[in-house]
Amino acid sequence: MFGLPDITIIVFGIVTIIAIALLVWWGLIFKGHD
Amino acid sequence: MADYMTIIIVSLYFLAMLGIGIWASKKIKNTEDYLVAGRSLGFWMFVLLMIGTVCSGMSLLGVSGLGYKMGWPTMWEQIFVPLSIAFCIIFFGVKLHNVAKKSGYVTVQDYLAHRYESPTALRSLAAVSGIIVSLIYLVGQYTAIAIVLMWLFQIPLWLALFIAMVVTMVYTAIGGLYAVAWTTLVQSVILIGGVLIMTPVIIFHAGGFTKVNEYIATVNPNLVMPWMPSGAFAIPYIFSFAILLMVGLACAPHVINNVLAIKDVRYFKWAPLVAFLIYLVAMVLLKFTGFAGISLVKEGVITLPNVPNAGDFVILHGLESALPALAFSAIFAVIVLAAVMSSTDRLMLTIGAMFSWDLYKRVLKPDADDKTVLRLSQIVVVISAIVSMLIAINPPEMLASLIWMGIGVMLATFAVPLLAGLYWRGATREGAIAAMALGLVSSLAIGFLNYFKTVALGIEFAKIPMHFSFYAFVIAILAMIIVSVLTAKTSENVLNETQTGWYFSKD
Repeated sequence: MFGLPDITIIVFGIVTIIAIALLVWWGLIFKGHD
Repeated sequence: MADYMTIIIVSLYFLAMLGIGIWASKKIKNTEDYLVAGRSLGFWMFVLLMIGTVCSGMSLLGVSGLGYKMGWPTMWEQIFVPLSIAFCIIFFGVKLHNVAKKSGYVTVQDYLAHRYESPTALRSLAAVSGIIVSLIYLVGQYTAIAIVLMWLFQIPLWLALFIAMVVTMVYTAIGGLYAVAWTTLVQSVILIGGVLIMTPVIIFHAGGFTKVNEYIATVNPNLVMPWMPSGAFAIPYIFSFAILLMVGLACAPHVINNVLAIKDVRYFKWAPLVAFLIYLVAMVLLKFTGFAGISLVKEGVITLPNVPNAGDFVILHGLESALPALAFSAIFAVIVLAAVMSSTDRLMLTIGAMFSWDLYKRVLKPDADDKTVLRLSQIVVVISAIVSMLIAINPPEMLASLIWMGIGVMLATFAVPLLAGLYWRGATREGAIAAMALGLVSSLAIGFLNYFKTVALGIEFAKIPMHFSFYAFVIAILAMIIVSVLTAKTSENVLNETQTGWYFSKD
């Protein structure tokens, strides 16, 4: 796909999705207040 | 000389920045206003300040340059650098902001002095190392700004540097963090918008996403793999690169101090995700422009100059080939100027803060009044601008390596005392001083041994499998643990005041 080997798409895809998922999770659990 | 259109657009941009500086200067009533913008930054101002601070002129030219040189294995840079903003907010920002509001910190050195009960030794060590690393960075920024101005206007290097230095210095000196934050808001919008418009033009000029990938795979199959088989960008190197960028950039003095200036800690809820996504998209496109450059060069569409860092010119020549010169010069000049100035101003202000607040007010002359400290901050901003400009006129040959070394030194020097201080109640003053001093010395030593390809103690330093800073980081961790275990603990009172422990927020 996109002229790239499968491993490149899988590795970068998984890492990016995990990073976004963790940051969404942080947004949902963080209840900071002053 | 450049065409009138370019001169007018660049002049208008400079005037706008000076206008913001003059407007911001009216809001400055005391040192806290000047150094942390009265802790009044809103959500978007903060997010764009973080992006603008992390994204420098060197990164704008260097990201595509590295992509041109080594292909997809370098794409990790575009994941780890945006993550450094998230790391900074989550692991440092939440707790530092909460404690800073109660204790009135103006710089991160205030926190280190309080947490480790070391008002003089650790504060001075942190401030002096911070000033040295920030100055190295600043020289690199001025060199980048000069390259672009010289190329655009065909003017001498000293004049290019002088124009860039005067504009940035004036608005930073008079407007402090208010001016830096507002100008960065405008600069980040220009930068992100410019990259989103400009890079697809070059990528389509080279035949589009798929064609570029197919082409570079024929040049060298490793260029489309997620890592290199050995050496730089092999798996061990990528691991150390992740720590270097995510943690090292996050604790850089000019980046981490931004978390003290936010108005409401609730902005930290979605700021990590928003900053990550915006920066990821812009930087991936920029990196892909470097891949497109491989195709454009190999097919003879563009020719790069015969210099060691030819890759850094890929974006300049790619855009020149894809767009008419008239539109190109002015747009590109303002984008690069925005990228450079958004980190240069923050660096100058950070140096001003570390000198006037940490060294002068807190160590040398504690009874100095607020007005004197404010004036001294402004004077140091001016001096740091002039000194770094003078060095940049005749930059040392190893400048680019020094800047990379700068992030490694920041990682080895600041990360361990900060992380251990915030999360480990057993971390002691002596442990922090040992970690900071050993981290600083060992990162400089290993960095130079690596740069000069030295063979010592049976080790070929040019061939170490990880980034040099990783070894110094491990030395700093060991120093912190061993010395802390052997020395007297910090008082429970201070540990509670600084909210030390294995949690992000006590509330």
